[in-house]
Amino acid sequence: MIGSGRKRLLIALAFLLPNLIGFLLFTAGPVVFSLYMSLTDWQLTKHNQYSTESVKFIGFENYARLLWGDESHLFWDYFYNTVFLMIAIPVSIAGSLLLAVWINSKATPQKPKSKMKWGMIGLACSVAACLGAWVLASPSAAQDVMSTRSGMTDLTEYQVQAMQRNGLVLFVGIVGAVITAGLFVGQMFFRAAFYLPTLLAGVAMFLLWKTLYRPRGGLINSVLDPILGGIERVVVNTPAVIWYGTGILLAFATLAFIGRSMMAGLSRYKAKETGGFALFGRAFILATVGISALGMSLVLVQLPEKSLLPSGYESFDQATILAIGDEMKGVEGVDAAEVDLIVNALGEGASRADTLSALLSDPVLALNRASVLEAVGQRSERVRRGLTAGHETERGGLQPPDWLLSSRWAKPALVIMGIWLAIGGGNMLLYLAGLSNIPQSLYEAAAIDGATGWQRFINVTWPQLAPTTFFIVIMSTIGGLQGGFEQALVMTEGKADTIVLTYYLYNLAFTDDFQLGLASAVAWVMFAMIFAMTAFNFRFGSRLTNE
Amino acid sequence: MSDRSPIEAATGPLAKLARPATFVALVLLGISFVVPFVWQVLISLSDRSEVDRLTETGFPSRISLDAYVRVFDQVPFAKYFFNSFFVAGWVTLLQVITCSMAAYAFSRIQWPGRDKVFLLYLGTLMVPGVVLMVPNFVVILGLGMFDDYTGLIIPAAFSAYGTFLLRQFMLTIPSSLDEAAAIDGAGHWRIFTQVILPLARPGLIVLAIFAFLFNYNSFFWPLILTQSENLRVLPVGLLQFNTTYGSDVPAIMAAALMAMIPPIILFLLLQKYLVKGIQLGAVKG
Repeated sequence: MIGSGRKRLLIALAFLLPNLIGFLLFTAGPVVFSLYMSLTDWQLTKHNQYSTESVKFIGFENYARLLWGDESHLFWDYFYNTVFLMIAIPVSIAGSLLLAVWINSKATPQKPKSKMKWGMIGLACSVAACLGAWVLASPSAAQDVMSTRSGMTDLTEYQVQAMQRNGLVLFVGIVGAVITAGLFVGQMFFRAAFYLPTLLAGVAMFLLWKTLYRPRGGLINSVLDPILGGIERVVVNTPAVIWYGTGILLAFATLAFIGRSMMAGLSRYKAKETGGFALFGRAFILATVGISALGMSLVLVQLPEKSLLPSGYESFDQATILAIGDEMKGVEGVDAAEVDLIVNALGEGASRADTLSALLSDPVLALNRASVLEAVGQRSERVRRGLTAGHETERGGLQPPDWLLSSRWAKPALVIMGIWLAIGGGNMLLYLAGLSNIPQSLYEAAAIDGATGWQRFINVTWPQLAPTTFFIVIMSTIGGLQGGFEQALVMTEGKADTIVLTYYLYNLAFTDDFQLGLASAVAWVMFAMIFAMTAFNFRFGSRLTNE
Repeated sequence: MSDRSPIEAATGPLAKLARPATFVALVLLGISFVVPFVWQVLISLSDRSEVDRLTETGFPSRISLDAYVRVFDQVPFAKYFFNSFFVAGWVTLLQVITCSMAAYAFSRIQWPGRDKVFLLYLGTLMVPGVVLMVPNFVVILGLGMFDDYTGLIIPAAFSAYGTFLLRQFMLTIPSSLDEAAAIDGAGHWRIFTQVILPLARPGLIVLAIFAFLFNYNSFFWPLILTQSENLRVLPVGLLQFNTTYGSDVPAIMAAALMAMIPPIILFLLLQKYLVKGIQLGAVKG
């Protein structure tokens, strides 16, 4: 050691000083300052250099306003939005683990095949050359009929075909490139491709997704639309009973499966055959499977009605039925008496709400009602076809949502994007590192015991990754509670359904009235929530991981 | 690297199918991660009038770079780029300097109270960023750094996380090295610059990548702390561009694409360090 204790302190301080000043000024100091601010009525429009009014200390009044006072309505609404968006967290963590396991498996090479490098570059060049050739060869002013497709009247049919051909070539090129890269570059390629969204997450990425989510002309709906159209055609042409029946059967089967698996898991746990963390993993997977299966059955039950509904109507309620009836009667060649018959039959209470409540209380009755609805519905469908003859594009009610523009789908849209953004990010890299640290001997021991792939995963891989999962869950919840600001500002321009707590804080502090005191209180309530959740994770998690 | 994955370890009739099935799943996912970006490129190369029917045709009728030209015509996009690089570059440089010096003080010098001060640093890592937003705004107003480059650079130039990261890195360097240097008569400054820094290079690079990427993407602070047009960084400029020219989808996509290119280049060049750094960061948990 150089020098005496006093001298070392001075030297250390000299090294530390640049950082320490900034740390005290911009981190440690503000934390204390913020706590004080949250207890005052500090408002920049009232308390500034031009006014003599001084900042008043008001105790916990700000907190009371937020939690149960006149701001509580907004605060809890935005809290709900924040928590809703956090649905993406467990899903993306599970996805990260799955991706890590897949990337790490022998399905794709662990290291790039260096011999193939040049072959790959060559292939990429040829694909690029191909594309260039197609683009250059695309016809410009061919002498044939103008396209009659909507919105394309300035283009000839030949041109439209050439464009579609180019699009197809490009897509095939992408598929080919991904397969080639997966075969020859392997793990490194997939890791990079999956990491890309996280790397680029920011305003630019949100603008891209805003474009993808456009209801018309957006990539997502243009993929969804033909799929939903196909489903609709199938549903309209089959008896509704099939869909109701399948939905109900699926729900019962799911419940039975969950019950059985839970009993089996618990008895194994009691017999000390599996640890607590493995049990937690099973429960999580069961919950995921269960929720998706139940959701699926709900979708199945709603399918016939949604498909038969003419587009633009929300559900088969009384007003809708009458409106459809009037619309049908206005069409030439439609028998008004038949329409009245349909309207009366539908009006006798076979509405969606009734059907659903009947489904939940009495499945047999519901099946009868369902068949009535189906018979009537198909007749109404025939009439509807007469109504819309000549418009091939006319569709029923099974249409892709308006995503960001609709109040119902804005949050789910952000959740889906959130999963896409996070699934291949840092969490996947952490899981990859965790996987490579699992001792090989454990798998060998499991193989000797004759464990199946699933058993090895749930009893070796998953418990061994427990510390990684623990860390990821803690960091993700901390980030999740504070997240969502940029999305709300960029993608939905502060629409109420997507306002999160951080956005609320921003609105309070930095727009309108500059209510710094109240905004600080929001920050501290969020801190308390984060602290509580982290503490809970620690208690719950360390008990599970240390077993 | 042999039978590591549980999928590989599967036995039974499904075992043979597991590997190709996994590969197919990976390829499908890979496509879904690549397609949005290709779509973005396609839109940016299209004419404004063609955007709505691009989903039907799958390809623009004419490839044009007009959208890129419009971006530079309508807003000072080059200035946004310069601002982003200027701010992120300075922050990165200053963070590496201040954090490495502080990390040296925490890892190589024995001084009274060291562990207590370090604990204070660690403690603030737990404090969520939202708590700092409002008071920092007031501090920066008070220091007269509002709407100025210094307001964007100085507050970000110190990082408790970076200090922690580099301290962990420096702790892995054997102390016999600086003791030998000390016997040769080297002072702390020489040991720091000539022994520790060269050996901590991977750590410095990791911190530099993190600092640069984070500040390049930084949106909240520049949004709050700047008003003038010529101080706008890329994310803020993009938002502004979107509010003003939102209907010009090709130009928006072109601007967003250009903003995405620097991180991609950085990632491709320094992928190894970035991955290591993320995996290292988890140690603190």
